[in-house]
Amino acid sequence: MYSDLLNALPEVFGLANFLAVIIGVIAGIVVGAMPGLSATMAISVLVPFTFGLEPLVALGLMAGIYNGAMYGGAIPAVLLRIPGTPAAVATTFDGYPMAQRGEGGFALQVAVVSSSIGGIASAFALMLLAPPLSKVTLLFGPAEVFWVAVFGLASIIFLLGGSPVKGLISACFGVFVSVIGSDPIFGSDRFTFNQLELLDGISIVILLVGLYALPPVIDLLETPLKTGVSEDKLGTEPIWKALPRMKGFWKTWIRGSLIGIWIGILPGAGGSMAAFMSYNEARRASKHPERWGEGEPEGVAAAETANNADTASALIPALTLGIPGTAVAAVMLGGLLVHGLQPGPMLFRDNPDVVFGFMWQFLFGAILLVLLGGSLATNSFARLLNLPRPLLGSIIIVLMLIGVYSIHGRMFDVYLMLGFGAVGWVMDKLKFPLPPVVLGLILGAFAEENLRLALRIGRGDWGVLFRNTTSLVLVALTIAVIVGPGLKKRILDARKARTAD
Amino acid sequence: MTEARRNRLLRPETLTAIGLIVAATGFLIPTFDLRPISALLPAAMLIGLIVLSALLLVSDQRKAAAGEVAKPVSTAPGRVIGAFALIVGYAVATDLLGFYPSTIVIIPLVSAIFGYRSPLGLVIATAIVVGSIWLIFDFGMSQDFPAGRLWQD
Repeated sequence: MYSDLLNALPEVFGLANFLAVIIGVIAGIVVGAMPGLSATMAISVLVPFTFGLEPLVALGLMAGIYNGAMYGGAIPAVLLRIPGTPAAVATTFDGYPMAQRGEGGFALQVAVVSSSIGGIASAFALMLLAPPLSKVTLLFGPAEVFWVAVFGLASIIFLLGGSPVKGLISACFGVFVSVIGSDPIFGSDRFTFNQLELLDGISIVILLVGLYALPPVIDLLETPLKTGVSEDKLGTEPIWKALPRMKGFWKTWIRGSLIGIWIGILPGAGGSMAAFMSYNEARRASKHPERWGEGEPEGVAAAETANNADTASALIPALTLGIPGTAVAAVMLGGLLVHGLQPGPMLFRDNPDVVFGFMWQFLFGAILLVLLGGSLATNSFARLLNLPRPLLGSIIIVLMLIGVYSIHGRMFDVYLMLGFGAVGWVMDKLKFPLPPVVLGLILGAFAEENLRLALRIGRGDWGVLFRNTTSLVLVALTIAVIVGPGLKKRILDARKARTAD
Repeated sequence: MTEARRNRLLRPETLTAIGLIVAATGFLIPTFDLRPISALLPAAMLIGLIVLSALLLVSDQRKAAAGEVAKPVSTAPGRVIGAFALIVGYAVATDLLGFYPSTIVIIPLVSAIFGYRSPLGLVIATAIVVGSIWLIFDFGMSQDFPAGRLWQD
C-alpha cells in the first residue's frame, strides 16, 4: 500500500520540484505576512500561471505556499496584533504581549518551530491515512461516487457553520455554474447563449480568481490600513540559540498536532478552530494559566502548531473523496483539476507518482519552514509589513488579469472573472460561504456524470441509487450531516433550559 | 442603532434575494427547451435557488419587522465603487489599447488614488512590475498579451 509513496520520493528531489517548494514557502510567508492576503488568495492567483508547468512543480508551489502562509500569518499577529491570516488570531494573544516587551523575535522563532512541527505531523498523517482510505474508495461505482459528491456538498454546507440557507444558495450557484456549456452526454448547449467561449464550460480558475482574489484586493483598497513595525520589537537571535528555551513545549506540540490533524480532517472546521482549541487545551493543562495572555511563549506554540497541523490533513478527505475540509483545500482541488487530476477515488490509482509526490512536498515544505523562516528571514519578512497596500493591490490586479487571460488567450475570460469577482465580493460581505461555490463547481459536473451513468446502468431505474450497502451508508451519513447540527443544537438548548430550571 | 433605510426592501439581504429570484427565473426559461435528463440538474438548482432566496427574503424581512438593523455592505461605498470601476476600466483599456500601455497607467493610478503618492516610489514600482512581466512572460515564456483592438482595426 505504501510502496507507491516510496517510489514517488526520487521524483520529488528533482531540481525543479524541490525549487518549487522553496519558492512556494518563501512566497507563502510573504503572502501570509501581509494582512488581508491569504493562502487561498495566493493559490487562486497562482493556479493559472502553473498551466505550462509539470504537475509536481505546480503542486510543490501550492504545498509550499500553504505551509508558508500559515506561519507567515504569525508575523503581523506577533508584531502588530493584526493576524495575517484568520488562523493566526490565537497567536496574537501571547505573541503581541511578547513583542511589546521586546521578545518579538523569540515569539516568531517559537512560531516558526511550532509551525514546522505541526506541518511535519500533518504531512505524516496525510501519508499514513490517505492511501488506505483511497483503497476503500476505489471500490465505489457510479452510484456510490454520486452519493460521495452529495455527501461532500452537504458536509461543507452544514458543517461550515453560519446560515445553512446561505450555504445551500452558494452550493446551488456553484452546481449551476458547473452545468454551463455542452451537455456531457447529448452535447446540447446549456446556457451558452450562442457564446462560443462558453461551449467548454467555465474554467474553475476563472471562478477561483474572481471569488477569492478580487474581494481581498477591493478590501486592500477600501481600508487604507497603516502597517509598519519598528525593529526594537524584534530582538532576534539565531534560532539554534533559542531552541533550548523551547524544550519544555513538547507536550504542547504533540497535543496541538493531534488537535490540528483531527480538525483538518473534519470538513468545514479549519485552522482557526484548531488554533483556538489547541490554545485552550494547552492553557488548561498549564501549571501557570494566569500567565497566558500576558506573553506566554507556550501560547504561541499551541496556536501555531495546531494551525499548521491542519494543512496537510485537510487534504485527506479532499484527495481521497474529493471533499475539501477548508477553503484552501477547495482551491487546491481546483489546482489539481487544472492539471487534469480529478480528486477522488481514481486519483491514487491513475496518478500515484503525482499524488504521493505532493505528500512528500508537504513534508519538505514543513521542514523548510524552519530554515527559510529563521531569524534573518524573519527580520526581512517583518519589513514587508511596510509595503504600501494600494501599490500591492494594483500589482495583484495586474497579476489577476495576466493569469486569467493566459488560460485561453481571450479577454472574455477576464470579463467573466470580474463578474464572478463582483458576485464574490457581495457574497463575502453578506456572509455567504464561498467554499460551497467552488465545491459545487467541482462536484456538480462530477455528480451529474455519475448520476447519469448509474441511471444508464440501471436502465432508467432510480432505485439503482439505493441498491447497495455502501450507497445506503453514504445516504445515512448525508442525512446525519444535514440533521446533525440542528439536532445537537436542540439537545444543547434543552440541556441548558433544564439546568436553568 | 436605528435603521437608516426608509424602505425595508432596500436591506442588502432582501435586495440580494430578489436579485437571485429574478436571475434564477430568467435562467429557468431556457431549460424548457432541453431534454428532461439534460435539464434535470440545472432546473433543480435554479428552483432550489428560487426557493432558498425566498426563504432568505422572508427571514430578512422578519428581522426587519423585529427591528433588527441591517449592517451596510461597505463602510466606504465610494472607495469600493471606485476600485471596481478602475479594475473594469483597466480590463476594457487592456482590450482596446493593449496590455502594456494600460498597465503602465493603472499601477500608479490605482496606487495614487488610494493613498500611495510617492512619485519616485510609483515610478520604480511600475518599472519593476512591468519590466518583470515583460522579462518573465513575454520574453521568457513567449506569452502573448492583448495588443489592443483599436490598433488592430
